[in-house]
Amino acid sequence: MFVSDCRRDFYERIVSQRVLLLVASDVDALCACKILQALFQCDHVQYTLVPVSGWQELETAFLEHKDQFKYFVLINCGANVDLLEILQPEEDTFFFVCDSHRPINVVNVYNETQIKLLVKPDDDLDVPAYDDIFRDEEEEEEESEAESDGSEPSDKRRRFEEEVIERTMKRRQRREWEARRREILFDYEQYEYHGTSSAMVMFDLAWMMSKDLNDMLWWAIVGLTDQWVQDKITQMKYVTDIGILQRHVSRHNHRNEDEENSLSIDCMRIAFEYDLRLALYQHWSLYESLCNTSYTSANLKLWSVQGQKRLQEFLADMGLPLKQVKQKFNSMDISLKENLKEMIEESASKFGMKDLRVQTFSIHFGFKNKFLASDIVYATASLMESIEKEGPETTNFIKALDSLSRGNLDKLHQGLDLAKKQLRAIQQTVASCICTNLVISQGPFLYCSLMEGTPDVRLFSKPVSLCLLSKYLLKSFVCSTKNKRCKLLPLIMAAPMDVEQGTVIMVGIPPETESSDKKNFFGRAFEKAAESTNSRTLHNHFDMSIIELKTEDRSKFLDALISLLS
Amino acid sequence: MEPAEAEFLAEQELVTIVPSFSMDRVHLIGGDLGPFNPGLPVEVPVWLAINLKQRQKCRLVPPEWMDVEKLEEMRDQERKEDTFTPMPSPYYMELTKLLLNYASDNIPKADEIRTLVKDTWDTRMAKLRLSADSFVRQQEAHAKLDNLTLMEINTIGTFLTQALDHMYKLRTNLQPAHSSQSQDF
Repeated sequence: MFVSDCRRDFYERIVSQRVLLLVASDVDALCACKILQALFQCDHVQYTLVPVSGWQELETAFLEHKDQFKYFVLINCGANVDLLEILQPEEDTFFFVCDSHRPINVVNVYNETQIKLLVKPDDDLDVPAYDDIFRDEEEEEEESEAESDGSEPSDKRRRFEEEVIERTMKRRQRREWEARRREILFDYEQYEYHGTSSAMVMFDLAWMMSKDLNDMLWWAIVGLTDQWVQDKITQMKYVTDIGILQRHVSRHNHRNEDEENSLSIDCMRIAFEYDLRLALYQHWSLYESLCNTSYTSANLKLWSVQGQKRLQEFLADMGLPLKQVKQKFNSMDISLKENLKEMIEESASKFGMKDLRVQTFSIHFGFKNKFLASDIVYATASLMESIEKEGPETTNFIKALDSLSRGNLDKLHQGLDLAKKQLRAIQQTVASCICTNLVISQGPFLYCSLMEGTPDVRLFSKPVSLCLLSKYLLKSFVCSTKNKRCKLLPLIMAAPMDVEQGTVIMVGIPPETESSDKKNFFGRAFEKAAESTNSRTLHNHFDMSIIELKTEDRSKFLDALISLLS
Repeated sequence: MEPAEAEFLAEQELVTIVPSFSMDRVHLIGGDLGPFNPGLPVEVPVWLAINLKQRQKCRLVPPEWMDVEKLEEMRDQERKEDTFTPMPSPYYMELTKLLLNYASDNIPKADEIRTLVKDTWDTRMAKLRLSADSFVRQQEAHAKLDNLTLMEINTIGTFLTQALDHMYKLRTNLQPAHSSQSQDF
């Protein structure tokens, strides 16, 4: 059931209760969790935080805690499956689901009592109407009653014939209705996509209660930017949401322009920026950033020698000496930094890169600390998926969560370093895949598989990193290939996950087009292919398009997919 | 006494807040608080003000003396005089630190205020050191200083008393050379 008044139906109900927070492992969920934690701390709400990275963990956490808690809040998990069937809860447990995964499972939408969805209903959901999917059970009883009705012997035959005709008509209607229902459900659930970021939904809740702060606004911005960095939402939706957040930013930060009452330098300020799309460029050197951002690297084709030459031409066109460009950004000459954005934009459009600037926000506190939203996203994502195993499994999650607070700058800088390593590894892997032609067309899709001994392959055993790699690879492939048909194909990427258990993690992403609506059909396709070949697969991730399977079953699984999709 | 204890005592001082919630009068052992009505200013001790501010339930109003011009005057006067001038509040240093740490967004020109208060503190500490130095050097028996605050006394207190102890020990060690006469056999 959709919650219309977040404050009354959600917050006021849990404010006096103990709550269990189940949070998925992505940056948007972390930001939403931070906002909710801040609200809880202000009101002294008792809560327990359990990070979950898949359906199995969700079920285990639920089973562990179901005796102690009646109220569960799920962040970025749980909307796209039938929660009641999976978790089998008691009658008096309530679930509040704040999830950006779509399509929302119809059972979750139409359940009146136990499941409350913290989603705005006008968010282009297209949920099928109730009557099309659910049939009241009373109608069946009426049918059987009519059939067992006794009747007089004189009209018996006529009535009997009428009854038979009625029954067959009803059965045919029922079959038609069921066929239509299957079709409607298939259309509805075929494509996976993402809706409004959960962090923005939580910020809206805080705003409705007039408890919103600049800090929470920043987390909402980071949540939205995470959706954009991971290519989960369309460009139009991103721009619309940026507009919404821009209004909040000017409301909170208008005092910066007023000289009389300007704020202390330690206070946090957020500013709207129309800044370059280069990843981490203010914390790195401009040269490295140009090489390691997918947009520039793909358009300039930096995996080839010619591409490197084009990069030099590009820099020369702007008049930036190589020595300056290769040193840390903060140490570049001020005269060069002043008009950098405009200069780069001009030169970039000559080289075919028209969208080098993007609307985003930056945060500023103290004298030294200035970060763009995308910097924080990269840093937090790499902290969360860092492969160094220190301590129990949830340390990475907690570290990433801590790095979002302004007081933990050392963790943030650690995250930035890890992000730089990750981006470099991605670029090198992409370059080697393209140069050695590892991306092959299988007919209805492109396929690429990372071998065991590839450098940094362990980094890509995590879902978010692998998704990022696949998107960059697809972008670069589209720029490098001359085959027009191949440019419109989606990509499936496989990487070894656990060598001892012999598992492989497989990710499917939609094709890369100018105006793609980012809808992904691989979730259902993977399920069907796994069923038909009896492969040993694990559909553990909240995104249905990411699965794990055994290495031996890989080839028959792919064959099944090819026949399914062609 | 530790500086933390001095800060704890400073938190009893009253400060004005504008709450955003409503609550009836609360009776505590130390006194009464409230009633709180949204939008109406009310005086509460600093410890409660900071707690409410952290829970975003109020807005702090800076005390009257926490104003750039007044603090500039105070600082200039402190620099002119040889003795200590009276301070606007017996806990001015602690209050400045607490309020500027937790509520700097409610206080206009917070950075300048911080600098001015620090300047005043430095001047007073310099005078204190000079005075302590002359006290020890001239071996005075007692001295009287007006208008010192608890934090300043605390800062120099331990050092001064220990220094005087050492001086006393050194002086009394000289005495036996005077009082004991050499014995004639």
